[in-house]
Amino acid sequence: MLQNLFFGLSLGAVYSLIAVGFALVFNILKFSNFSHGGVMSFTAYAGYLAYLKLFDGRVSGAAMFVAVVLVSAVVGAITAVGIERVGFRRLRSNQAPVIYYFISSITLGILLENIITIFASSNFYSYPVFFPAANIEIFGTSFSVADFVTLLFSVVALAVLLFVLYRTKLGLAVRTVSFDVHTASLMGIDADRVVMATFAMSGALGGISGVFLGMNYSLYPQLGQLVVKGFIASVIGGLGNITGAVIGAFLLGIVEVGLIGLVGSGLMPACVFVIMLVFLLVRPQGIAGKIVQEKA
Amino acid sequence: MDYIYSILTLTGITMIGVMGTYMVTGLTGQFSFGQAAFMAVGGYVSAMLMLRFNLSFPLVALIGSAAAVLTGLLVGLPTVRLRRDYISLVTFGFGEAIISVLNNSAQLTGGAEGLVGIPRRVDLPLVTVSVIACLFLVASYKNSKFGRQCLALRTDELAARSMGIDVNRMKLVTFLFASAITGYAGVLYAFYSQYLEPGYYNWTVSAEWLIIVFVGGINSLTGAMVSAVILTSLPELLRFASAWRILIYCVIVLIIINYRPNGIFGDWEISRLWKKRTPAKGDAA
Repeated sequence: MLQNLFFGLSLGAVYSLIAVGFALVFNILKFSNFSHGGVMSFTAYAGYLAYLKLFDGRVSGAAMFVAVVLVSAVVGAITAVGIERVGFRRLRSNQAPVIYYFISSITLGILLENIITIFASSNFYSYPVFFPAANIEIFGTSFSVADFVTLLFSVVALAVLLFVLYRTKLGLAVRTVSFDVHTASLMGIDADRVVMATFAMSGALGGISGVFLGMNYSLYPQLGQLVVKGFIASVIGGLGNITGAVIGAFLLGIVEVGLIGLVGSGLMPACVFVIMLVFLLVRPQGIAGKIVQEKA
Repeated sequence: MDYIYSILTLTGITMIGVMGTYMVTGLTGQFSFGQAAFMAVGGYVSAMLMLRFNLSFPLVALIGSAAAVLTGLLVGLPTVRLRRDYISLVTFGFGEAIISVLNNSAQLTGGAEGLVGIPRRVDLPLVTVSVIACLFLVASYKNSKFGRQCLALRTDELAARSMGIDVNRMKLVTFLFASAITGYAGVLYAFYSQYLEPGYYNWTVSAEWLIIVFVGGINSLTGAMVSAVILTSLPELLRFASAWRILIYCVIVLIIINYRPNGIFGDWEISRLWKKRTPAKGDAA
């Protein structure tokens, strides 16, 4: 029981990284960024490549793990900034309608997925085992080390993000721009740079979650489709709300683990979908409660 | 000859699927990533009815489309009153959910190994007739009062609402209409290919349809149809590897979206060729 709860929490932690990365961009540009999944698969492969070419045989165990995660986060940040440059910069300067952002992000997501398919083919790869001791005993219950590290790392990453958002000048700028781009630029905030910084943060989170997903499952080009978990968590938590996204993600993780016990892992996505529909009917604004209004 | 024949048939089926996407995206400005899942619903329901109860093809085709409408209602009802993002997210989840159900009810649907033994009831003439009929339906819908209301709400939902348009209802009706058409495309596909597998219906198919609509121009049904024909049949004829094909599509779309955001056809429709050039009627744009 306690073990399952813990597994749910660690799953929820990964989902919360995805959901927050997604919510960051939503907050600032007011559209759902479907390219986030592509960034996740891309960085998962980048992390694997870094392990294979750079670190294999030099470092091992926990050090290797940290190195791979860091590389992926950096690659994710660079990829996301590149995406912003190619896909959204021109749209923003043209003041294009939201539909175009949508299409652009979908296209970039598919593009990344197909680049991986072409260069890595559709084979499955798997990450090395970073932690040889599979389980640790606490209070007589055994926990998986990988889950423990996932949970720890996610919480640290989220804490860093929240610190940046709420305690630094950059974070203030991000929050200002997400409130109103035009006023923010009138106040002397360089909106382009803030948007870039937001994409970088979102990409770094996507990179970290990509590695965790690669560790939990194996590595395949469609790995990024797990971004749907982040979407569901954001819907449950309230679109664009970062606290809501975190709460929604942890709830989702725990509910999923519970459902696997009840109906099996195969039918679990369908059940989660039904739960999401019910949630939309009963409380469309999400847990966090502030419904995002379309501006006229 | 057989090869060209099959390409033409599959292109026709894709055209019908793209019409569904065109209605959802081009008319109401919503994005559905689960359009292919409606195709799966139509295909599986009709094929299973045929295999179990041996009903006639027109009847199962009708039931298949109706089933797609019912599932469309399930997805559409909670989402149309919310911000547009929700319908994309929910349809995305819907697609995954349908695939997981199909994969995990092996005794009913054949699971991941697929549903085999469907009799062939669809040939090129039937597909051609279907394409023309659906095209007629969609074009009339676009030019009707409903179509104009949809375009109004796509451009500005708040303004449309204040003009007395029942925005939520219009979105739902259009979404259901599109589900019916897509479900029918699924029926055609099932009874043409004689084999169904869940993997065929993932979100990349829906996204590919969206891309096709966008290349043609979201304001132009003609454009969507032309780009459906070109983007599905040309790569088949030239035998591109599928991954490269999609890569090239993506690059085209990125260029279009950055430099010609209205698509290749803008809002031009083929019907303008034989209509009097009077701007007063406001045509279809």
